[in-house]
Amino acid sequence: MAIDATRNSELNVRIVSRRSTGKMKRYLRPVIAVAVPLAIWQLAANMGWVNSFLFPAPWAIAKALWVQAGPHGNPPYAVLYSLLHSLWRICAGVGLALVFGTLIGLAIGLTGWGRAIFRPIISIILPVPTLAWTPVLLLVFGIDDRTTITVVFIAASLQIIYNVVAGIDTLNLRVFWVARSMGASRMQIFIKAIVPGIFPYLLTGLRLGVGFAWRALIAAEMLAASSFGLGLMISNAVEYLNMDIIFGGIILIALMGCFFEYVIFGWIEMKTVKRWGVQVER
Amino acid sequence: MAPILVVLLLWEWAVRAGLTGSHILPAPTAIVARGMALLSGADHHVLLVHTWRSLLRASAAFVLAVMVGVPLGFWLGRDERAYSWVRPWLALLLPLPAVAWTPIFLVTLGQGDVTIVAVCFLGAVFPVLISTIQGVRAIAPQNIWVVRSLGAGPLGVFLRVLIPASLPTLMAGFKLGFAHSWRTLVAAEMLAASSYGLGFMIFAAREYMDVRTMFVGIVLLAALGFAFEHLLFGSLEAVTVHRWYRRGQRR
Repeated sequence: MAIDATRNSELNVRIVSRRSTGKMKRYLRPVIAVAVPLAIWQLAANMGWVNSFLFPAPWAIAKALWVQAGPHGNPPYAVLYSLLHSLWRICAGVGLALVFGTLIGLAIGLTGWGRAIFRPIISIILPVPTLAWTPVLLLVFGIDDRTTITVVFIAASLQIIYNVVAGIDTLNLRVFWVARSMGASRMQIFIKAIVPGIFPYLLTGLRLGVGFAWRALIAAEMLAASSFGLGLMISNAVEYLNMDIIFGGIILIALMGCFFEYVIFGWIEMKTVKRWGVQVER
Repeated sequence: MAPILVVLLLWEWAVRAGLTGSHILPAPTAIVARGMALLSGADHHVLLVHTWRSLLRASAAFVLAVMVGVPLGFWLGRDERAYSWVRPWLALLLPLPAVAWTPIFLVTLGQGDVTIVAVCFLGAVFPVLISTIQGVRAIAPQNIWVVRSLGAGPLGVFLRVLIPASLPTLMAGFKLGFAHSWRTLVAAEMLAASSYGLGFMIFAAREYMDVRTMFVGIVLLAALGFAFEHLLFGSLEAVTVHRWYRRGQRR
């Protein structure tokens, strides 16, 4: 989902007149926009305008996170371990989803038997909210990493399959004809015509998949994580009423989400735009 | 439809043949039978109550999200300066799963409907808000200039340009918003419901290893979500968007 709509060309009329402030607008304004409310929140907490137990000040949140991330946390290095566990689960789930999702997507898009087998199964699974599987998976695997990883896998693979199939459906048939008439083998057609054709769609699927998977993972961890995990961290903090940890965890979850969305996929997009002409749909 | 039937038949056969443990994956007929039992008077129509509560919560959250998201979206879509200030917050909050807010609401509001509706609201409001902003921002200013130079006031511009032109994206946003509300609901009900609700039903059934009830819940969640997304919002889309645009073309 794009926040910056690409269609602001019509609005250039207004922007041109203020071009001198363009740089300030791009870099400084977001910082101010985030910093000022935080400062007000801090001030309000210091002055006692808000209940600083329920809404701890940003500085207190940062301090609590820092302590919990260090050797004096309870357990030691709790925040770091939680972060790493969440990262491991999302990487494992999305990695599996990338492999199986792409294969299933290719099978549906390219082969008759794949379409016959997987299409109905996918269309049954697709409308089910991913998290509804959690209790079933808890029965199958118990409170275990496999439960959370499977939730991530389901969330991510559906997006990947969907987009790979869409990519194959929109492939230009003429590319096949050209390749075949020039004597390309099936393998060559696959590598030279199909792979580059579906690559942008695969990337879109991956991006959407990671977004969905991250949302699903946090909720799944709240319900079913065994040891560490950001979701478990904030849901455990409820029992001890550690509001600073809850807020800190939410901020970390948001930052990690931004990291996947803007940094990693921004980077992939930058790298691939030149080579493949890929413009990932946000 | 036929391939789905084949899958269901295969599933039924696999369970009856003992290929999958029926304590993990019950047969479709067993799920239906359990669903009928839960619907019947013997169980005090408990399934109806669960479904009704879930629907109420999801719709309340969705209506609130529309009431907040649409006016805010129109404002931010029109006001370039305000949008540039709010954008960093949208970028920060968008990838944040709504369920992550649950602990805060659990502490401040306690378990129950208010928390669930609040979480689902946060799940639904961002798709609605962002679609509205995109729809409004995509309108060419020329359209507004024309209508304005023909003598329309702010209300005229709003009614004759902004609403019709942003309607397709607005409808897409509604659809997405309800889908998010519905999907968030399951998790929120599992975490914060003290009674009733499909998510609560599924999670409570886990304690008794009652797989068939869990699958009744899963099937209902899927079916209702599908029905809302495709039948309700699909037809709403067809009625509003197509009619307005066809009328526009004829003129």
